[in-house]
Amino acid sequence: MLAVGVALIPLAYLATRAGEAGWDRMADELFTARTGELVVRSVALATVVTAACTALGVTLAFLVTRSDLPGRRLLGVLAALPLAVPSYVAAFAWVSTLQGDAGVGSFAGFWAAALVLTLVSYPYVYLPVAAALVGSDPAQEEVARSLGRGPWRTAVGVTLRQVRPAVAAGALLVALYVLSDFGAVSILRVDVFTRAIFTAISLGFDRTGALVLSTVLVALTALVLLAEQFSRRRAARYARLGGGAARPPGRVRLGRLRWPAVLGVAGVLGAALGVPAVSLLRWFGEGVSRPGSLGELADAAANSLGVALLGTGLTMMLALPVGLLSARAPGLLAMALDRLAYLSHALPGLVIGLSLVFFGINVAYPLYQSVWLLALAYAALFLPLAVAAVSAAVAQAPPGLEEVARSLGRRRAHVLRTVTVPLAAPGIGAGAALVFLTCMKELPATLLLRPTGMDTLATGLWTRTSVAAYAAAAPYAALLVLIAAVPTWWLSARTGVLTRTGG
Amino acid sequence: MSTPGVRSLSASTLSGLLILGVTGCGTADARQGDGSDKKITVYSGRSESLVKPVLEDFQEASGITVEVRYGDTAQMAAQLQEEGGRSPADAFLAQDAGALGAVAERGLFARLPDEVLDKAAAAYRDDGGEWVGVTGRVRTMVYNVDQVPRADLPGSVFELTEPKWKGKVGIAPTNGSFQAFVTAMRVEYGDARTEEFLTGLKANDAQIREGNAPIVADVDAGRLASGLVNHYYVYELAKEEGTGVDDLEARNHFFPNGDIGSLVNVSGVGVLEKAGDDPDVRAFVDYLLGTGAQTYFAEQTYEYPLVAGIATAPGLPSLSSLNSPDIDLNDLDDLETTVEMINDSGLV
Amino acid sequence: MAELRIADVHKAYGRVRALSGVHLTVRSGALVAVLGPSGSGKTTLLRCIAGFEPPDVGEIRLEGRRIAAPGASVPPERRRIAVVPQEGALFPHLSVLDNIAYGLDRAARRAGRATAVLELVGLAGLQDRMPHHLSGGQQQRVAVARALAPRPPVVLLDEPFNALDAALRAELRRDVWQALRADGATAVLVTHDQAEALSMAEEVAVMRDGRIVQSGPPELLYGSPADPWVAGFVGEAVWLPAVLDRDRADTPLGTIRLTALEGSAPTGTVRVLLRPEQITLVPPGAPNAVAATVVRRDFYGHDAMLALRLDDGTRVAARIFDPASAPPAVGDEVCLHVRGTARAFPPGERASGRRPRGRRPSGPA
Repeated sequence: MLAVGVALIPLAYLATRAGEAGWDRMADELFTARTGELVVRSVALATVVTAACTALGVTLAFLVTRSDLPGRRLLGVLAALPLAVPSYVAAFAWVSTLQGDAGVGSFAGFWAAALVLTLVSYPYVYLPVAAALVGSDPAQEEVARSLGRGPWRTAVGVTLRQVRPAVAAGALLVALYVLSDFGAVSILRVDVFTRAIFTAISLGFDRTGALVLSTVLVALTALVLLAEQFSRRRAARYARLGGGAARPPGRVRLGRLRWPAVLGVAGVLGAALGVPAVSLLRWFGEGVSRPGSLGELADAAANSLGVALLGTGLTMMLALPVGLLSARAPGLLAMALDRLAYLSHALPGLVIGLSLVFFGINVAYPLYQSVWLLALAYAALFLPLAVAAVSAAVAQAPPGLEEVARSLGRRRAHVLRTVTVPLAAPGIGAGAALVFLTCMKELPATLLLRPTGMDTLATGLWTRTSVAAYAAAAPYAALLVLIAAVPTWWLSARTGVLTRTGG
Repeated sequence: MSTPGVRSLSASTLSGLLILGVTGCGTADARQGDGSDKKITVYSGRSESLVKPVLEDFQEASGITVEVRYGDTAQMAAQLQEEGGRSPADAFLAQDAGALGAVAERGLFARLPDEVLDKAAAAYRDDGGEWVGVTGRVRTMVYNVDQVPRADLPGSVFELTEPKWKGKVGIAPTNGSFQAFVTAMRVEYGDARTEEFLTGLKANDAQIREGNAPIVADVDAGRLASGLVNHYYVYELAKEEGTGVDDLEARNHFFPNGDIGSLVNVSGVGVLEKAGDDPDVRAFVDYLLGTGAQTYFAEQTYEYPLVAGIATAPGLPSLSSLNSPDIDLNDLDDLETTVEMINDSGLV
Repeated sequence: MAELRIADVHKAYGRVRALSGVHLTVRSGALVAVLGPSGSGKTTLLRCIAGFEPPDVGEIRLEGRRIAAPGASVPPERRRIAVVPQEGALFPHLSVLDNIAYGLDRAARRAGRATAVLELVGLAGLQDRMPHHLSGGQQQRVAVARALAPRPPVVLLDEPFNALDAALRAELRRDVWQALRADGATAVLVTHDQAEALSMAEEVAVMRDGRIVQSGPPELLYGSPADPWVAGFVGEAVWLPAVLDRDRADTPLGTIRLTALEGSAPTGTVRVLLRPEQITLVPPGAPNAVAATVVRRDFYGHDAMLALRLDDGTRVAARIFDPASAPPAVGDEVCLHVRGTARAFPPGERASGRRPRGRRPSGPA
């Protein structure tokens, strides 16, 4: 309940402000041709990126887990790393790279944003699908093969169908992420909702207008959630047939496609990781703006780690009960709680930040501009990531085990501690890692809510890029990406693409 | 910025989250001060690299500790509006007059004493006395000396819609300074003329950039013939590249005769209602308008000092010689229609 | 040791009625098998006893103490009823010893109870293994040991031998039976395998459509099933049309004596039940012998089943022992003789229930 309360802060805030605006003002703001355009463009961007991420993420996951792709282990781990690159860094890298090399300066607009967003967010699909492919039961595939289906047709018809829940979960996160992203769309100048919201505040000093626009974003999110719910209902849960030890599934031979496939994967990684890396190196080299003291950098890194850890801890604490409930008592209530946690997920960080300013000032004044309120903002922003991870992990732990444990005379709480949580621990850890690295990258809410005088890597990066001091900004960006890469590396390693002895 | 807050916070993140939280609460509690507690909290919408040296000098000179919160000017204005009367902030240092006007409109600022207001010329302060300008910046046209002969430089910004400038003008339509300029044009010439100007720019294949800095960089590199920016960007570029401003290919052109193209906008400061009588805050405002700070801005950020008697950066025409258009800067807080018009023109 | 008393328990999932009025009493220390086809509600009954599901109607008492009734359920952890689930369900993150010790208090752990139970199930020395390093049979043994370790008064076993192969199954049954006896626990075994139920249990309760249709000692169930469905479910049945003549029935296989029955017996035209092992081959010319032709022969090693057609077309089945010594081939003429008594049922009743999923072919109807 508490968790959902946190997720509801932004919605309550929106409702309050929209209520103040009144219906007429809202109608004025909403029923315009521009709003219509924004809806179309936002939905189109989310659709294109989600489709591209799904295709890319599933293909990559399949290649590294189920084919004889050369170098698949290394590629498999690298493929998750773009998650560590903040979208604003990636967008900036692309713009500066293309401008520097070709002098075009026209890398902007819808398709540019779609490209950059796809490159930074496909790991949301890649990671769960790779994990599901490694863990899925080969029995069904074997049956399909024995019925005369070729390996490729089996892959498409059976294997991919098995991992559909993982695909749907990842695609949902991508769609919501795209709706809420500001970094890439602002740098690449795509007029979508988040940008309109920022523009309303930045140029018109028009909070109300911005918040009214935000309500549309919430409505869009609700639609996305409904669509996902619908696809979830139709998707069969994948089940392991029979008992026996889990055995590794077979691999598809790529044959003549081997090297083209490697080149393709390397191309994706080059675009997603290489471009930002080269661009950062160039920032280091160019310009004479002082790189700033190591002490400041270390302080910022320590602060980033601190608030991200605190935010992760709080988020996971709030997510555990909701995740448990939705995995163990999947009823209307659990579903409602679960969906509510998602509802504010597509709101841009700025709106979440403002809502927590509102909350801090009016409800929790002693916490205002303390790291606690910032952690609470992270919880409000990233609760769905954590809830999804927890409920998936708990769903993997069979409820029968809990019943047995209780029949042996152990209370619920004891069973939770000794059976459920240990079994779900790897999944919960994965959720925590994801939340952690997302907290590290977060900028707008951090700017609004951090304690006065505190710098994190993200705010330090912002401070320096906003005055075009790229050489000074580069160490912040590099350190941010490097620290975020650690949990990302771990996340992809635990999908089993490294060890290949999952089970 | 090495305030005690930062230091203790980083130390504690290393030693443990619990202490981190306690420290966080500590900073939160410590702000309920009044009278002279030798400590003020400033929200700065101006970037850290520009104002930090001034604030450090002030701390040293006055012994007053300044807690600074840096952020985007507009987002900070929104934050102040949201915080209302319970804001921890004592003063708001803003990048432009529009943001100050938006906060003032909510009645969050205290009226400044006349002796403070009088330090700046009437054009650069709030009529109601709720904020005062600190520095001035002038809209200019930056041009590449190799591509645009001096004789071809326009006398008015309106000439840029003419065919000879086709594809040669860079603008940053999402940038606040450009928005303020368009708003001023609306105030001065009306919406119809402004709309004509915007669609004219669009039809003339104006080159879109994300901000002023990229325009100046592109002009200097010869990728763009000219662009509409603020006057100080060429100085920043020279500094970043380690050369003199006269060695750049990019030069400033100031539109003559009070043309709207060379609008003067200000950065300024307002004092929050609760700190209206705080002597520490007053000392801070006085310092910003004093010789030291004004000289610093003139020499280091190449902005125009707004207090009489301070020399401008070398090579800049004086403010009075610009004969800048007579616009009430408070009127620039209605940017909504401007944004809409820019969107409608197809420039965004 | 405890008596378990189940009275009028109903349970529905939505519109599906899983249990509709179950009555069952399990004597203290007895091993009762609940036998039924899948979907008969037997697992639901077990879950109600364990406390995983509350009954909609009815009550369950343990040693006279009410542990389940609508709105007043003792939670599973306070019932002291242990469960051995299907396929073991060992805690995968705990070693064998930790699995077994899971339900033990500190004192019992220190007293070495876990190791003792491990020995009881024949797995001494494997205490440090992780569950995924055990074979299926070993996993089941650990699951039984884990259930027995806290000395629960009642142990519930949910088709625990299901996933095992035949040889392993027989051995495990015996060992589990011994372990249960050694501890003196009251045990309820849920199964769809009639051989398992009949061989292990002192009493068998046959379930169908959420009700217990008959319960009693295995011999009674096999010999005197309450209805044709039970007759077919607990073993092979040979049905013969018959005309009753007091305590005898005239059938195509000759006149057969009827099983003595309490209460009213049907009269007139009936059907009588024989078991295939009651029909034996006799040399041609023996008294009361009936001629038949072998239609099919299924060889099982220790015995064989013959499908036969009488001259009047009636089909019967005979189980012959010692089949290795010159068994008849398909098409051979043989002579049949009936041993023992037959049970009479009214003619209209059809054996509508599904047959058990045995390895035996169904006898001729």
